[in-house]
Amino acid sequence: MLEVKGVSKSFSGVPAVEDVSFKVEQNEYVTLLGSSGSGKSVLLRIIAGLLTPDAGVVLLNGEDVTDLPCHERRIGFVQQKYALFPHLNVFDNIAFGLRHREVDPIKNESLVKQKVSETIALVGLIGQESKMTGQISGGQKQRVSLARTLVTEPKICLLDEPLGALDANLRERMTIELQNIRSELGVSFMHVTGNEFEALAMGQNMLVMSEGRIVEQGIPQQMYATPSDLITAKSMHNFNIFSGDDLHKHMEAGTSDKLSAAKIKKAMHCAIPMDRIDIVAASAKAKGLRAEFLTSEFLGNKIIYFFKTEDGHVCEVEDHMSLRERRELTASTTYALKWKSKDILYYDENKQLLG
Amino acid sequence: MKSNKRTWLLLSPGITWILFFLVAPLIMMIYVSFWTQTTFSIKPELTVTSWVNFFSSDTYFGALLRTIRIWLTVLFVTLLVGYPVALYIGQFIKNKTLQTALLVTCVIPFWTSFLIRVLAWRPMLGKEGAINIVLQKIGIIDAPIEVLLFTELSVIIGMVQIYVVFMVGPIAFMIGRIDGSLIESARDLGASSWTIFRRIILPLSMPGVIVGAIFVTVMVLGEFATASALSGRKVNLLGNIIITQVGSLKWAFAAVAGVVLTIVMATFVAVMLRIVNLRNQL
Repeated sequence: MLEVKGVSKSFSGVPAVEDVSFKVEQNEYVTLLGSSGSGKSVLLRIIAGLLTPDAGVVLLNGEDVTDLPCHERRIGFVQQKYALFPHLNVFDNIAFGLRHREVDPIKNESLVKQKVSETIALVGLIGQESKMTGQISGGQKQRVSLARTLVTEPKICLLDEPLGALDANLRERMTIELQNIRSELGVSFMHVTGNEFEALAMGQNMLVMSEGRIVEQGIPQQMYATPSDLITAKSMHNFNIFSGDDLHKHMEAGTSDKLSAAKIKKAMHCAIPMDRIDIVAASAKAKGLRAEFLTSEFLGNKIIYFFKTEDGHVCEVEDHMSLRERRELTASTTYALKWKSKDILYYDENKQLLG
Repeated sequence: MKSNKRTWLLLSPGITWILFFLVAPLIMMIYVSFWTQTTFSIKPELTVTSWVNFFSSDTYFGALLRTIRIWLTVLFVTLLVGYPVALYIGQFIKNKTLQTALLVTCVIPFWTSFLIRVLAWRPMLGKEGAINIVLQKIGIIDAPIEVLLFTELSVIIGMVQIYVVFMVGPIAFMIGRIDGSLIESARDLGASSWTIFRRIILPLSMPGVIVGAIFVTVMVLGEFATASALSGRKVNLLGNIIITQVGSLKWAFAAVAGVVLTIVMATFVAVMLRIVNLRNQL
């Protein structure tokens, strides 16, 4: 469906996107996870035709659209800040593409009305048609922005951090609604986000981007459990990552059973899931990595305990409230942190997972 | 109650100023326009003679029509010349510093005095002026174009040059405020550059056009110096009539012309503000 091959783009000699290649299949929800400045918005703009790549091609259904102007691509692009036209009401905002597109505009107003009304019903904006964009809430603006793109029946819909400006409740609701709307229309969505939960929850397929490159691509569950690239592991915010000279010492200390000798020999980095670490009192006999308890953060269904090792490394331990009671820990006291050998992920000098 | 008092206290200097220096003189002007004017004196006896004389005289009523004609021409040409410049500064120059630098460049002529700016057109437009010499040298014309100076055309050229910047500034400001993502969205929705201009940029820049038009209107309608300097006193605007009448102590007549000018300006400003709700847009 959409294929990006070897796309690169620099600004004043600074690379923003470097040799990016990936595919999005028909009727698929793909999420692209990346921190701010990772080049994800630039990549989206290149696909939409708002920027021209320095190298590489963008193919849509096998056709090279790299040099095709934006308005001839039929790729929908939902902007981060909605970008609604402030001088038009909700209805006219949504109808804009149908009425004013260069290729094949709809002149028949009753057809415009019918299509806009269908889309308004789809995104749940009935009754808001005549309101100006300044009179509607953030969530409704988001829906108008989405409806405005969907009504033009794009081949693929690009969403640039579409839930970023919404509050948590609304974000959760929109997450489900976006998926429903997409499956109802059968159109591919490419959703760019900096939020790992959003990327994991929404994507059938997930891409992780860092410093202008796609570092990993795969199924969210798999990428969450065993990220094959260390950058992905970092992006998931679910791992304690140990690197550097003290790596072996830390692993020896914290692993309660026998370490894999072959892997630890080659490893330059190790990642341990936050929810696979146990905390015990630091008695003389107790095995475990010694760390001072700093503070805890209660998040409703889970709690995160923060520790600092002797060399200043901050370590996080996550307990799910459904699995155990809140631990009574004393600040500034040293505890022993331990984990099992099977939970450790080992990464080589290229930050790739060791098999 | 306390905050109400404070509001009035804060408003009082402005209100006092406007009452004494705008409302009172305006009322006085309307009042004086109905006074009885004789050759050398004026009496506060109410009459409509000055008003009747104004509208029945070809000289004065003609001046009103000429003023309106020149004003509308200057307004149209300043918009025609100013809009593309503003569009270029506001939309095509992305660097904010360069945007400001270009706007400052537009006001460089204002670093010299008004009269110098107006009079500088004489050596340009005259029979043996720069334009005629250049056109003759390159063989486009055989004889000098005489219509360039001391005509209505020269007044219009001079006024457009002086006032076009007041049109460029507000429009460039409004265009510069249009978020780039709106243009991107419109492009992505399939609109061509022309459609984007017509459907997005133009409507969103309208408050700038209105403010610019009000600036130019207020200044052109009150003009007298450009007309007398560039027309050799052949083109009389209402402003020139007021100056002459005041000079010959015909206060009632000058007041009539003043009231008429004020009505034209106020009507135009009111109509413009009806078209675009500036409070919502700025």
